[in-house]
Amino acid sequence: MSPIILILIAIGLGLAGWLAGRAKAWSFQKASPQARPVARPIYHAWYVAIWIVVPVLAFIMLWSVVAPQLVTQSVLASDAAASLPSFGFERESWLAEARAAAYGNAPGVFNGGAEALVEPYREAISRYSTIGYVLTFLIAFGGGAWSFLRVRPDFHARTKVERAVMIVLLIASLVAILTTFGIFASLVFETVRFFGMVSPIDFLFGTFWGPDPMSNPASPEGDRYGAIPLFWGTIFIGAIIAMIVAIPLGLMSAIYLTQYADPRLRAWVKPALEILAGVPTVVYGYFAALTVAPAIRDAAVAVGISNASTESALAAGVVMGVMIIPFVSSMADDSIAAVPGSMRDGSYAIGATKSETITRVLFPAALPGIVAGVMLAVSRAIGETMIVVMAASTAANLSANPLERMTTVTVQIVKMLTGEGSFDHPATLSAFALGFVLFLVTLVLNFVALRVVKRFREAYD
Amino acid sequence: MTVIHESIKDDTAAKMKARDVSVYYGDKKAIDDVSIDISPDYVTAFIGPSGCGKSTYLRCFNRMNDTIPIARVTGRIELDGENILDDTMDVVQLRARVGMVFQKPNPFPKSIYENIAYGPKIHGLGDKKADLDVIVERSLTRAGLWEEVKDRLEDSGTALSGGQQQRLCIARAIAVDPEVILMDEPASALDPIATAKIEELIDDLSGRYAIVIVTHSMQQAARVSQRTAFFHLGKMIEYGPTSDIFTNPIEQRTQDYITGRYG
Repeated sequence: MSPIILILIAIGLGLAGWLAGRAKAWSFQKASPQARPVARPIYHAWYVAIWIVVPVLAFIMLWSVVAPQLVTQSVLASDAAASLPSFGFERESWLAEARAAAYGNAPGVFNGGAEALVEPYREAISRYSTIGYVLTFLIAFGGGAWSFLRVRPDFHARTKVERAVMIVLLIASLVAILTTFGIFASLVFETVRFFGMVSPIDFLFGTFWGPDPMSNPASPEGDRYGAIPLFWGTIFIGAIIAMIVAIPLGLMSAIYLTQYADPRLRAWVKPALEILAGVPTVVYGYFAALTVAPAIRDAAVAVGISNASTESALAAGVVMGVMIIPFVSSMADDSIAAVPGSMRDGSYAIGATKSETITRVLFPAALPGIVAGVMLAVSRAIGETMIVVMAASTAANLSANPLERMTTVTVQIVKMLTGEGSFDHPATLSAFALGFVLFLVTLVLNFVALRVVKRFREAYD
Repeated sequence: MTVIHESIKDDTAAKMKARDVSVYYGDKKAIDDVSIDISPDYVTAFIGPSGCGKSTYLRCFNRMNDTIPIARVTGRIELDGENILDDTMDVVQLRARVGMVFQKPNPFPKSIYENIAYGPKIHGLGDKKADLDVIVERSLTRAGLWEEVKDRLEDSGTALSGGQQQRLCIARAIAVDPEVILMDEPASALDPIATAKIEELIDDLSGRYAIVIVTHSMQQAARVSQRTAFFHLGKMIEYGPTSDIFTNPIEQRTQDYITGRYG
């Protein structure tokens, strides 16, 4: 009994209900053409279809979880199960082999002892699959009959259908919110485990980062888990160097495109700029590692800084800044363009120049959108990994010199999770603590930015 | 051609003189060879049916048509003898001398104080806070708004009522000490009481400033103006003293419009 067939059955039955509901509603209309029906036939049709499809789909979901359990239970209750080995691991593997053979997924069983279980499995599977089909039809028929009987000229099918639509939309929006909560919960869980092994004080205020995944997990060295160099690297590369590049360039290009550029030029430049946002970050990583970083090193050496390295925070930050220009410029562009033309005219009419009008009238009015764009860009930069891995190294370093190697929180998360340590080693768990801090920081940043925008926004409507 | 009433042909004290001005939107001619004089001695009203070009013509006097890429203006408009349509004319200075009030009130999303102080600041009329305070109070007083807002100068200009917003915009125009004020249907978005206040204000301001008002309300033109020009299909049909235009028009089309036969 495959769920796909059940779903096709549900859709087929739903269609039948749809047609039946519509036919019934039509017959009412034909019977008394003068009467004004409270809902058009199509709504009656949808009403019946929803009452068939939704319960059936719910049943299928439930059944696909419950049925395998029932099958296993009935196999264990059979006589053949008596010969199962009592050791858990072996027992499981016999059962799994017999199940695979019964479903036809495996040509035969590996352990001879499992052979006897194949037949009970086949029987149980076919029995429960029949029960599943029968229940599906019963539920579909029940839902269809109940709703079909309610189809009457004075039945408000339209409001019911609208309500169903609203519920579908509500569920869709809940999925995103619940996912956020789920992510948060899993982070919290693992973070608490980590802090059970390493003190939060060491983690948040220590200045040396060098977890050793091969060390004894029972006695973690707290002084190797100081995350300050990572936080600093993240802020320095993502929020300082990248923003120094991205904010001015992004805003200026937005201002040029909205206020100065010829519409024909704008039609070309704007999409071209937005293509920048679509380039995979790995490609930026190549560019940073192979072109920008050596160029910066050569430039540094040329001005007499002899110890400049090929991997530098500056290279990663600059390329990251270029990468997020489209985020800043596109949001700023939209919000400047959304300022009513009458504001601009009012400013020109007093004799303000173009740049005065932009900086004193358009810019403040567009501020919420601009700040939103910058926030988006900062979150994007803080979360960026590939460019840093390729251009700024994976070694933690606490330094204010942009020409030195540095690393960020996200890079370390990847490094710790893809390392060889087991999942209960503090080195691996530290990835969750880092993720948790990152999550909190971006949350606070967004919150503060929203408050700031609310406080200073110049609403024009 | 334009019919000009005999009684105003000898007017001499013109602040602005427009001569054979035409406006094109792309290839379409929106204004066809229109000439007129503007003086601080009287309020001039432009009337005519929608789409007749009266607003387009008004916008020539402070070159607001520059902001429309496809618009092109030919002819000659003098401000104290200087041709403002000349390429060498500095539009920033021109617009400080020839202010404008728009159909829909468009206060900046700033405080009432900042709305007024904006112009003086960018033109360097008051560098010190004390100077600006004086300008703000004087402008708001002239616009008849001071008593209503003096205790809440830090509130947003957009929080005022529609009529107050429009008087704020007039105060904003006055603040840079213009010589001419152009008003593009300044009361068409306001209720009758606010409209009456604006009309009163126009009366008070005339004499100090040369005022040109575009209106689609003939009663308003009759109430506030001393000279009226009637526009139709991009041409100025008739120009004369307001009382004569409304009681004794020469042209049949003017007669038809003011008696409500079309438009």
